Amino acid sequence: MDERVSDPSTASRSPSPQGGEETVANTLRRLAIVFADFEQRLEATPLIRKLTRGRFELADYHAFLINLRQQVKDGALWMSRAASNIGEAHLELRSTLMRHAVTEHRDFRLLEADFVAAGGELATIRGAAKNVGSEALSAWMFHEASKPDPFGLLGAMFVIEGLGSVKAAPWGRQVQTRLELPDEAVRFLLYHGENDAGHMQEFEAMLRMVPQDAATAERIVTCARVTARLYALQIEEIVA
Amino acid sequence: MSEAGRLREVYVTGTGAFLPGEPVSNARMEDFLGRVGGRPSAAGRRALRWNGIRTRHYALGEDGTPLHSNAGMCAAAVRTALDEAGLGVGDLQHLAAATTQGDLLVPGHACGVQAELGAPALEIASYQSVCGSALMAAKGAWLSVRAGEAEVAAACAGEFSSRWFRPAFYEGTALVDDRGRLVLEADFLRFTLSDGAGAVVMEPAPRPGGRSLRVEWIDQVSLAGRFDPCMWAGATKAARAEATAGWSHAGPAAAHAAGAVALQQDFELLKVVIRAWIEVWLEKVETGRIRPDEVDHLVCHYSVQSLREEIVGLLKSTAAMIPEEKWFTTLPETGNIGSASIWVMLDALMRSGRAKPGETVLCIVPESGRAMIGFMMLEVV
Repeated sequence: MDERVSDPSTASRSPSPQGGEETVANTLRRLAIVFADFEQRLEATPLIRKLTRGRFELADYHAFLINLRQQVKDGALWMSRAASNIGEAHLELRSTLMRHAVTEHRDFRLLEADFVAAGGELATIRGAAKNVGSEALSAWMFHEASKPDPFGLLGAMFVIEGLGSVKAAPWGRQVQTRLELPDEAVRFLLYHGENDAGHMQEFEAMLRMVPQDAATAERIVTCARVTARLYALQIEEIVA
Repeated sequence: MSEAGRLREVYVTGTGAFLPGEPVSNARMEDFLGRVGGRPSAAGRRALRWNGIRTRHYALGEDGTPLHSNAGMCAAAVRTALDEAGLGVGDLQHLAAATTQGDLLVPGHACGVQAELGAPALEIASYQSVCGSALMAAKGAWLSVRAGEAEVAAACAGEFSSRWFRPAFYEGTALVDDRGRLVLEADFLRFTLSDGAGAVVMEPAPRPGGRSLRVEWIDQVSLAGRFDPCMWAGATKAARAEATAGWSHAGPAAAHAAGAVALQQDFELLKVVIRAWIEVWLEKVETGRIRPDEVDHLVCHYSVQSLREEIVGLLKSTAAMIPEEKWFTTLPETGNIGSASIWVMLDALMRSGRAKPGETVLCIVPESGRAMIGFMMLEVV
């Protein structure tokens, strides 16, 4: 299966420095590969297996929301930190990240409301500790965001927002059908599916805002790969 | 063994297709398949919009009586391919036969095809999967000639899906709800799959004085380790991933009543599997195995016309698209014939005269079964 592991050297035979569009396309292709691998890994986690095999219980949904909350809460925070580390040469990207952070920084409240509407206690979700995967993911994101010009984080955004636009809504519908929950109990998952479609369009534009060189592209793909692995670890660690 | 133990070049020297009966229009499909509980299907129209198929062929008469067998259709396609190559049944040394479900549970499909061919003693191999079984068989035939084990090999694939779509497969089972409606997982496939067979003949040299296809490589990638079955028969939807919950444990009568015998598809999972196929494609491009701008003809077995736009969008934005004018398909006219589709389309491409010497032909066969995809690169000589 060596073929499934992308070879970093392939970046060097991609495009000329001046071929901006070509660089964007090559980076998108490598990110799409990372994302699909991530999606398949998620499919095979115990929690998602329960969902797709029709064995998902209310306790599983509670555990899912509790464990998603940490990353959702941290998301806008590392994004703000990343924005503050983007230099003057890339103000447009800084603005985009700041807007992004503003849009998302209260999302975890929606998630808490879903938890309560699904029969959970507010104190339970607010008081829960991060699981091993969430600890690793959070530490990684803040570490990366603290570097000057942390362009690599675009790769992390591709993975996390891809999850929102591709997986959240189908998961939400499956949860709702399986557990017969009212709309108020699955708003976070359903709303993310709608909302993130626009985010993905924004993503291509962001890729054009960073330097079009092999090193930046490489960092973006590497960040995507690390984020995907840690995110999957976070889901793997969820046990109801 | 081949000379000095070296691997040989292998050429497709003949192709053949067999489509039973006359083309059947969308309006007349249920006359052949029958109506579950005597009522027309509610899901059929939607399925047809989805797959874009206008006509197909059935190995059934209008009253549902079988006109052929799966093995018989395969034998007819092999005979045509041998004929095209200027060979006869007696020249065949290796027969690789593929199908989703053969005429019998046991023995394998290949011996049925050999018997229908009336072929003398020869080496055979049966490949059972879904659409992807076609390239599994092709790889076996290719390697056999390549290694010098056979001078003439045939790979064939056939489907007789319509017989599993007759009302008796569903009526009185858990697949029909209180209001007499068949579950979508089963009904969609009734309006998607149809019958026929196709074959290719392979030899270590091109056909003298005619057009052949040099087989550059055949790659197959299965991702079954990460997915539950997406298209299956032999278990209920809920129990399809459990090793001990198959039809064979319940016994045939109980399994039928539970809805564990009919062919079904999980459409939610299919969307994930489609993205997995695209990932494998993108990796082929990324590693340089496939260079999209060097492909002259793309023969891709796809069954979902309506998903094309979404896929095309992703392929374009990742510089992995083969321009649409290079795509060749017979899906709207011949329907989705499962494993046989790729050979039926390749046969039509070769007969169309579109493929010129020096051009490349890339065949792609995705299989939703449990997430696999196969590729075959050919060069016209």
